[in-house]
Amino acid sequence: MSAPHGNGDGPPALAGPRHDSAHERGDGDTLGAVRETALQVLGALPHPPSALRIQVGAVTLELDWPVNAAPQGAPPGPASPAAPAAGAADHIGAVSVGVFYRAPEPGAEPFVREGSVVAAGQQVAIVEAMKLMIPVTATRACRIVRALVEDGSAVEFDQPLFEIAAAGA
Amino acid sequence: MGGAERPFRTVLIANRGEIALRVARTCRDMGIRTVAVHSTDDRDSPVVRYADAAVQIGPAPARRSYLNMAAILQAALGSGADAVHPGYGFLSENPDFAEACLASGLTFIGPSPAAMRRLGDKSAARRLMAQAGLPLLPGTLEPTGSLAEAESAAAGIGYPLIIKAVAGGGGRGMRVVRRAADLAHAYRTTRAAAQTLFGDGRVYLERFLPHARHVEIQILCDAYGGALHLGERDCSVQRRRQKLIEETPAPGVPAGTLERMCAAAIAGARAAGYSGAGTFEFLVDPAGRFFFMETNCRIQVEHPVTEMATGIDLVREQIRIAAGLPLSLSQQDVRPRGAVIECRVNAEDPDRDFAPAPGRLAGFAPPLGPFIRVDTHAFPGYRVPAAYDSLLAKVVVWAPDREQAVARMRRALAEFQVAGVATTIPFLRRVLDDPEFVRGGHGTDLADRLLGRPDGAP
Repeated sequence: MSAPHGNGDGPPALAGPRHDSAHERGDGDTLGAVRETALQVLGALPHPPSALRIQVGAVTLELDWPVNAAPQGAPPGPASPAAPAAGAADHIGAVSVGVFYRAPEPGAEPFVREGSVVAAGQQVAIVEAMKLMIPVTATRACRIVRALVEDGSAVEFDQPLFEIAAAGA
Repeated sequence: MGGAERPFRTVLIANRGEIALRVARTCRDMGIRTVAVHSTDDRDSPVVRYADAAVQIGPAPARRSYLNMAAILQAALGSGADAVHPGYGFLSENPDFAEACLASGLTFIGPSPAAMRRLGDKSAARRLMAQAGLPLLPGTLEPTGSLAEAESAAAGIGYPLIIKAVAGGGGRGMRVVRRAADLAHAYRTTRAAAQTLFGDGRVYLERFLPHARHVEIQILCDAYGGALHLGERDCSVQRRRQKLIEETPAPGVPAGTLERMCAAAIAGARAAGYSGAGTFEFLVDPAGRFFFMETNCRIQVEHPVTEMATGIDLVREQIRIAAGLPLSLSQQDVRPRGAVIECRVNAEDPDRDFAPAPGRLAGFAPPLGPFIRVDTHAFPGYRVPAAYDSLLAKVVVWAPDREQAVARMRRALAEFQVAGVATTIPFLRRVLDDPEFVRGGHGTDLADRLLGRPDGAP
């Protein structure tokens, strides 16, 4: 079977800090300056970003953080029509596209309620995808502020499910 | 044919990039609702806004989004889709996915899982096509089990030959061997590479034609035994077996050869019980002999070449056939006109061995003007993700004859402005100025010759 002539599951083209290849060629000084700038920027950040992009022509500097790990005051990601609240608040997101359930079975007690304090790794909900029950767990100790999605409704990958706050807040 | 015809209510498009947008457009022409799926990296892809609904199915790595069958099926069922169009690449030729769609009550817009299995395994496909009377290159029908077996087979085939992974494709998992002394090393490395790349170390041997042309036949088949061909595409301009430029008619191939290839493609499709749009790939040697290579069970990147020449919307036909409708046209209705050339513009740097060049498009102005079609999902400010294939746009031109088509493509590529990332446009322009290409006398070795790699061996 012929593989993708167009789309494919290719490996990321460039690992680590990326730079505009059009400006790199035959210009060792530019490349050196880009590396130095990248190291300075990365050293000055409180949290390491997931991606750093530096473009030399017309000067662009971009930093990305994973939505779930966004530190307070981090710039929000690009507005998404699919996940409007992504990046806007501290939250626990959906682990898969699927159906969101707050309780282990219909009529049972929900995993968490508003105000519940949960430990890192504690289950807070279920996302069901193709009859597979995927547990949603807290990535860190926190307090559940409120549920953002109706029980039993369809959710997308990474869609915020619970707004959370620091456990002591 | 009435405009009110609407074989499906909602089609989920299980793909990204230009093909997702292109499928969505035909669905809109047909009055069909569309659902786009996208990864976190593709949030700003135009199909997300263009489709009637969009579902974020996973993070950037394709394995967790565009190749995640459960996520895609969940998105389809949750959004009320009744059919799935897989585009090309990703899950488009995966019989398990087609089967999972059917099991979930969804129509898979493509051939049956059984036909895909018959044609997806290269050894099985060669056997089936040999039975159907298609000419094959001298080679081993069954995968070679040992080096000793390969050595005795190679003696019969002759050199140069090519070792191919049974599960390979897309230019990966193959190696050219020029002399008997190189066979042992090449055999072992190809097997090891195939095991790593595809999880299947089986390989077979085939005669290698250094200056052959790659010519393929587009076919359409319905579920009732109806089958027709839509002419040929010459895809001889390839870099390490990745297509760069495709055109129709195939320059310099005798009409009689093309007719026999079309008849062979239809015989092959019938033998495989094929339905939907598909492509039979052949190699044509300088003497005009042709040999079957493989079948592509999907829409292809270069399908606009055929659409421009015939005026037939291939995605529309795919959708109608999948809905169980008989072919809406007969062979007499297919009348290719003029000359068409397609160039693939990739975000790759030709000066750095075609290294992928992800990044933000500071500027993007595709060519315009008469008889030019540009299929793209890019726009000024679009960020070319590093996680996916680097195809940025396809430029397709029509003209009454090849000479005018070449001139029009030269003009189109000169107009095409892309700033912020390196593209293959400069290299495409070199090909269009090459005297052998202009004469139409080139073979699959042209691009590698321009790059100073006369061997063309990957």
